[in-house]
Amino acid sequence: MNDPRRAANTAGHETAAPEPLLSVRELSVRFLMPGGRHVAAVNGVSFDLAAGECLALVGESGCGKSVLAAALLGLLPGNARTRGAAWLGPAGDRLDVLTAGEATLARTVRGRRVGLIPQSPAAHLTPVRTVRAQLEETVRELRGTGRAALRAAAEAAAARAAFPTDHLDRYPHQLSGGLAQRAATALALVADAPLLIADEPTTGLDRDLVDRTVGELRRHADNGHGLLVITHDLAAAERVADRIAVMYAGRIVELTDAAPFFGSPGPRHPYARGLLAALPERDFAPIPGLPPELDALPDGCAFAPRCDRATDRCAVLPDLTGGVACHHAPKAAHA
Amino acid sequence: MGKPEGGDATVETAPGNGTAAPRPAVDRPWHAPGGDGRRTRAVRVAVSGALIGATVLAVLLVPPLFPLDQQAVDLTAKLEPPSWAHPFGTDEVGRDVLLRCVYGMRVSLLVGVVAALVASGIGLAVGCAAGALGGRADRLTMRLVDTFTAVPHLLMGIFIVAMFRPGIWPVIASVGLTHWVSTARIVRAEVLSLRARPFVDAAISGGASRLRVAARHLVPGVLPQAGLAAVLMVPHAIWHESALSFLGLGIPAHEASLGTMINGARGSLVTGEWWPTLFPGLFIVVPTLALAGLAGAWRERINPRRRSELVL
Amino acid sequence: MLELSHITAGYTPRAPVVRDLSLTVADGEALGLLGPSGCGKSTLARVAALLHRPYAGTVVLAGEPVRGFRFRAPRARRTLVGVVFQQPRLAADPRLTLRALIADPARATGRFTELADRADALADAVGLGGDLLRRRPPEVSDGQLQRACLARALLLRPRLLICDEMTAMLDASTTAALVAVVEDYRREHDAALLAVGHDRVLLNRWCDSVREFPTTP
Repeated sequence: MNDPRRAANTAGHETAAPEPLLSVRELSVRFLMPGGRHVAAVNGVSFDLAAGECLALVGESGCGKSVLAAALLGLLPGNARTRGAAWLGPAGDRLDVLTAGEATLARTVRGRRVGLIPQSPAAHLTPVRTVRAQLEETVRELRGTGRAALRAAAEAAAARAAFPTDHLDRYPHQLSGGLAQRAATALALVADAPLLIADEPTTGLDRDLVDRTVGELRRHADNGHGLLVITHDLAAAERVADRIAVMYAGRIVELTDAAPFFGSPGPRHPYARGLLAALPERDFAPIPGLPPELDALPDGCAFAPRCDRATDRCAVLPDLTGGVACHHAPKAAHA
Repeated sequence: MGKPEGGDATVETAPGNGTAAPRPAVDRPWHAPGGDGRRTRAVRVAVSGALIGATVLAVLLVPPLFPLDQQAVDLTAKLEPPSWAHPFGTDEVGRDVLLRCVYGMRVSLLVGVVAALVASGIGLAVGCAAGALGGRADRLTMRLVDTFTAVPHLLMGIFIVAMFRPGIWPVIASVGLTHWVSTARIVRAEVLSLRARPFVDAAISGGASRLRVAARHLVPGVLPQAGLAAVLMVPHAIWHESALSFLGLGIPAHEASLGTMINGARGSLVTGEWWPTLFPGLFIVVPTLALAGLAGAWRERINPRRRSELVL
Repeated sequence: MLELSHITAGYTPRAPVVRDLSLTVADGEALGLLGPSGCGKSTLARVAALLHRPYAGTVVLAGEPVRGFRFRAPRARRTLVGVVFQQPRLAADPRLTLRALIADPARATGRFTELADRADALADAVGLGGDLLRRRPPEVSDGQLQRACLARALLLRPRLLICDEMTAMLDASTTAALVAVVEDYRREHDAALLAVGHDRVLLNRWCDSVREFPTTP
């Protein structure tokens, strides 16, 4: 398979890391439920994302990855509580999106510093207005461009997302799935937000469209955007990501470079190994059991009940050290 | 919009590659992003609930506990402004306005609740039948509903009342038989949207009959919406009753109803005696708003704009 | 088991999404139907499950031509086919607990007591148990809900199972687990399978043969 990944970046963070665009520190999110219950959707997640880099956050449905995305966009519902920090931007001018007020988020963060590439572009676009009208509105809102320059600015934004200019006057329902995706991407790129978050960008798309979407996402990373892709589609993650973060029961259990993860020596966390082995092109064998419920997480390693290597040590929660949170993980190959 | 619950809940760590962050200081406070919208909602629900509760209690308890005659005429004390003896003043024949408001509210609430139930029941049945049967039956029913809508409510209400002697039951019938149309529309639209969901396909594939799909999957699915429509119908019915009574077509003039009271006090309003009209008016408006407040909170519950507040 | 011949179907007669399509699934065979999204393969799946009446063409199920669709199909014919849909959220009545959801076809056909044990066994087979079965769809994840939907489809022991993009929303491990459940069931009951999807790798691994959905120009 043709690997569009930039080789230069795969090991870049190991040495003098570039200034991260996004640095998430010990982020936890929980939801207060009726009856005093609470659901611990995200637990102590930390990672960095640099410009020009693509981090794929993978995990099964209900592992908390979409909640994490919502937290980073300040879109959590009223019964959510957060802890930790998610710093956006370089050291001099950084902002914690978790504690920032709604006004700050609306005026300076969404669209301007963080762009969202939506899951279903057809639902993300207004059906009753043309792509051009929506682009121009977004340009005016985010960049304050005057009426005269609006047309050119909208066309430039469309060009950046490789949206054909002669399709600008069409309505969303007149676009194919691929073009609708580009239109939605164009909206996300209007204000040149340095950080892009793509939430399940490939769900429900067929292979050709997945390939194209993945190719475009990769291109945005190569153009210098920081890209956070949230997906359960490992095949798509393999093709787009520089680094992989595997989430299980609200925690990152493995955070590593994509090439050794998908190639040799492979994942080091037993869950990540099982997830990869379940692919139809590999063993096609499921991991036994179900993930724990997020409102009743065990004290120790959450994967232990499903793990063939579990021992007494697993009653203690393993830290994420050296890129993997497991007491039994093999040493990193290059460590 | 909201304030953080605690102070700055963050620990600064040197930016590294994200894998070597130190363990957090335990028990740092949780931060509520975007404030807690549920608090204002709770206040609204509490105030609305208290107002409705007070009204219902007054209506239920005052007549048995205070055996005063609401019809007691005292011509020596007519049109007295509010005082300790008569907190809402007296009307043009010296009857206590507060007492008559309470008795009037009794009639209005009875009419409102029963008529709303009748209207919602008819609406639910018609809407469900039209939506669940679909096709020609649906089109025929909805044209009938359209025809019904074309006639003004009040006009048809007057027509129905005029066929009977004045009293509570003709008024209830008049309101109930004219107000089911909106509920029928709401219910039908909801049923149609539910009917297109794959879970109905799954039920059919599982061997469910038409009746079972309607009874087990469609009707329960629309009940919250229909219930909401019924609650919103109560103030509507109260207004309708007042309008009929004001026109002299509803409750007989000597019996206290909010509409007859305002009607009777019309004359004194021009001469500057505001209390016999204002207080019955408030008795119509305030419970209406309170009911609308409760219904609004209910609507937010069954139809949350942010799905994950109930989900996850 | 299933013969579709010259099926034309859709939602507006002028622009049908499936045109003149023929397809046969033999007894016990697993056929994969591969096509891009929006090509009409879900419509075809609904026709095959007797849930959508085609404009033209004939459906022969278990040797007998099909005369009615949806409620017009006799119950015994409808329940010959089990269906699993792409989006478990939409395919599950949000008010039923997972236990009631799985047992719903048993109640609908008046065989609740008879099939109670089977419902429990199926819940176990798809990996659902204990507290999860008492929850309602909004309180469980997509993967857990799809497990329940698969158990529901298998409850009445269908002779043909139709999986319409069953695993499109699911992660690799859940996909593998559900496919394993389907295959166990097929081995035990010698049932046929029509798996509709867009993932060539998955269908090749899962099915005996894979057919491309003919794309209409």
